[in-house]
Amino acid sequence: MKAFVEGAEVSLETAAAAAARVLEQARQPVIAGLATDSAGARAAILLAERLHGAYDHMASDILLRDIDVLRQAGRLLTTPNDVRLRADCLLLIGPKLLNIWPGLADRLALAASPRLSEAKARKIFWLGPGRGEAAEIGAAEITATPAALPLALAGLRAAVLERRIRINGALAQKLTELAETLRAAHFGAILWSAESIDRLAIEMVQGLATDLNQKTRFTTLPLDSGKNVSGVVQTSGWMTGFPVRTGFGRGYPEHDTWRFNATRMIESDEADAALWISAYGDEAPQWKRQVPMIALARPQTRFPYAPRVRFEVGAPGQDHDAVEYARDIATFTLARASAPSDAPRVADILALIEQNLTKGYEAC
Amino acid sequence: MLIRLAGGRVVDPANGRDGVGDIWIRGDRIVAPAEGEIPDAVYDVSGKIVMAGAIEIHSHIASGTVNTARLLLPENHRAHRPRPEETPLATAGWSTFETGCRYAMMGFTTLVEPAVPPHYALHSHLELADIPIVDKANLMALGDDDYLLSLLQKGASGTQIADYVGAMLAASKALGVKSINPGGSIAFQNNVRTFDYDDVVPEYGVTSRRIVEALQQAVVDLGIPHPLHLHINNLGVAGNVETALKVIGSAGNKPLHLAHLQFYSYGKEGKRGFSSAAAQLAEAVNAAPSALTIDVGQVMFRQTVTISLDVIRQFAAVPMAKPRKSVIFDGEINGSGVVPYLYKSDNYYNAVQWAAGLELFLLIKDPMRVFFTTDHPNGAPYTTYPDLFALLLSRDARARWLADLPKEAVEMTTLPSIEREYSLSEIATMTRVAPAKLLGLKDRGHLSPGALADVAVYNDDPDRAQMFRFAHLVFKDGDLVVRDGRVTHYRYGRTLAVQPSYDAATDRRLAKYYDDLYGLSRDMFKVPADAIARDYRFEEVACGQ
Ligand SMILES: [Zn+2]
Repeated sequence: MKAFVEGAEVSLETAAAAAARVLEQARQPVIAGLATDSAGARAAILLAERLHGAYDHMASDILLRDIDVLRQAGRLLTTPNDVRLRADCLLLIGPKLLNIWPGLADRLALAASPRLSEAKARKIFWLGPGRGEAAEIGAAEITATPAALPLALAGLRAAVLERRIRINGALAQKLTELAETLRAAHFGAILWSAESIDRLAIEMVQGLATDLNQKTRFTTLPLDSGKNVSGVVQTSGWMTGFPVRTGFGRGYPEHDTWRFNATRMIESDEADAALWISAYGDEAPQWKRQVPMIALARPQTRFPYAPRVRFEVGAPGQDHDAVEYARDIATFTLARASAPSDAPRVADILALIEQNLTKGYEAC
Repeated sequence: MLIRLAGGRVVDPANGRDGVGDIWIRGDRIVAPAEGEIPDAVYDVSGKIVMAGAIEIHSHIASGTVNTARLLLPENHRAHRPRPEETPLATAGWSTFETGCRYAMMGFTTLVEPAVPPHYALHSHLELADIPIVDKANLMALGDDDYLLSLLQKGASGTQIADYVGAMLAASKALGVKSINPGGSIAFQNNVRTFDYDDVVPEYGVTSRRIVEALQQAVVDLGIPHPLHLHINNLGVAGNVETALKVIGSAGNKPLHLAHLQFYSYGKEGKRGFSSAAAQLAEAVNAAPSALTIDVGQVMFRQTVTISLDVIRQFAAVPMAKPRKSVIFDGEINGSGVVPYLYKSDNYYNAVQWAAGLELFLLIKDPMRVFFTTDHPNGAPYTTYPDLFALLLSRDARARWLADLPKEAVEMTTLPSIEREYSLSEIATMTRVAPAKLLGLKDRGHLSPGALADVAVYNDDPDRAQMFRFAHLVFKDGDLVVRDGRVTHYRYGRTLAVQPSYDAATDRRLAKYYDDLYGLSRDMFKVPADAIARDYRFEEVACGQ
């Protein structure tokens, strides 16, 4: 694994010193991408604080859609294992869930009956799947386009509460039947992802689950995006009290989903240096303005313009052991390296950069 | 490094000491006076009060549920006034960093997070690892886990149950065992909305009582110093004093710790059918064997958020949420709920709760058996501790608060008639000596030679809240970490855990169980010692026999 300054290969130490110069000469640096394990996220947040900078994640638009509904309305939720073992009635919402989580059917043992339930069979419905998706897992399909989903969900809520449905025709009939089945469930779960449904639909899903709990038990399973996205949010949560899009301009954390959007900060000339972190895949930044960039990325990454300093890093759980959020268990686990190498970890490089900073307080 | 704390009033009830004298520290330990040696540092603490570092036994500070509350309630952070400090992230709202700093500023040097289901142990340890300065530990929550309930259903032996508990503790690296409305999470998944001590868990045919008895015995059999830490059924419900009395009556001579008893001290008197039965409950505690201990879970009037694995109770509280949002989590091994709440002094029910907590503190006679908690953040955030100390120390202070409360609420309690005022020595017993004993931490809670040099020095300020809010000096392991109420620097403490012995065949059985039921390796749920490499050291707390 290698490090480069202005395209020329140098030692890690030289690159770290150069990166430190770029970051501390900036008026307002921003850490972006942030696709890394929890140790990497922790190091990045500490570095952002020391630089009085901000940090954001490449998947913020999706994960904040989810979090915004959470902090607006709250949530009912459970884990994949709980759905696997106890849910006798599943309702999937919106398209692409099998693309978002290819191993879904296996992990939830959809073909089997729930082991820890008195219900002997599992009923599976899919409202608004993509073409052919429902058949793939043997779910009963109720067609709805993504745009029509909030209305269909509203209709379903009305049917669950035995109120009049403001929808006509075959869909109304199907929703009424579905409502009856959901109400008869022993312990049901609604599966959804912020990647494929919008804010309004997420709110409707939560409202539906709440309504169903008046008579029976229902919960929801938000499908995790993988690649430690949730782990970064969790780490940010305990370190600062906030999710990503948090800044330290005043020396303490402030969270603002608009102000600390990294791409916006860079395009609007607010941020004058960027630290891009992408250890899981080959994602490159989306911004157009050629702000000086430090990159911690996989070797194969293709950048829209040349980073001032570039470090090749290992992949968490592949090149090195990593604590990350595992969607199979909906919490953290230690993932042992599947193909150990001496490729550096994001946390180690960030520590090296921090050691090369000359201003800011002494880290204790 | 030899340090002399000269001329302070040393309040060290473990040694029967309350008088002016010196404390000597060498390295990380308290030592006998090193007469004839010149100390490297002398602190003149004349006129100050010197105690061992305080120990927190029950505060929700490091878990997935706590983090959910942080993400649910970004507005709560604004209540924290930013105070620039020269340590990383020290001004980060109610973050882990703030937790370590604020507790240290009050003279606390050891903290216990009490509610971690075994599948979420690593998350808790990741948060504990980011709490600076203090030592820390967590308790593992059992009682809604299929494996245990299946053992009970099959009539497994006490040894088999102890082996299972031992194996789960070893994998989770916890200090002890907690159980929360045992069986309640599974009952709730089966659409049960209230769950009593003698109710049967659907599908398993065992009662909550049976789960408690089994875990209580397993903790004894494994020699775990900390007794079973129990959150009983019917929390917060009018008339629930009957549940608490029933549990106390059946605890026998085996050690048992009842968490946040204030939330179970309610009668049904008065025209609202809600009264304090704390006096009756205190009487029962006084009469019970000394192996029964309790903590209070005091309510203080302010905005907070309730965080609990008692999902039945939390679901019932959803309509009372303020602000109106909440999180209800089911989960495969224990549910939980996060419900924000505003305790108001002009609210009848909240006023009764506040008074009932103080009645427990003041009417339970032995400060070795009643523990200082607000069940942070359920009754109030831990940052209200200084005000609570002041209330225990002064009847006048209580009278001033009482004057502001609804009269009809005050009439439903005995608080105005209670004259007792805690002495500083009793405060030190309750917050130092007793917790060290309860958790099995032999070298803490006192200032004898050989003890860990965790020391808090307070100004003898007549404003006792101010005194306890900002310690004059705090030493952790002999290292000065707080001066004049400000954290001077970070250091990272140890994580305390028990390592009980159990039949190794249990791990093989559990591996097979996880493969079969979850289709996953049990290893995914373990906390490997090397998972958090930096600054994170486990220290074993010895189990007895
Ligand atoms: Zn608690």
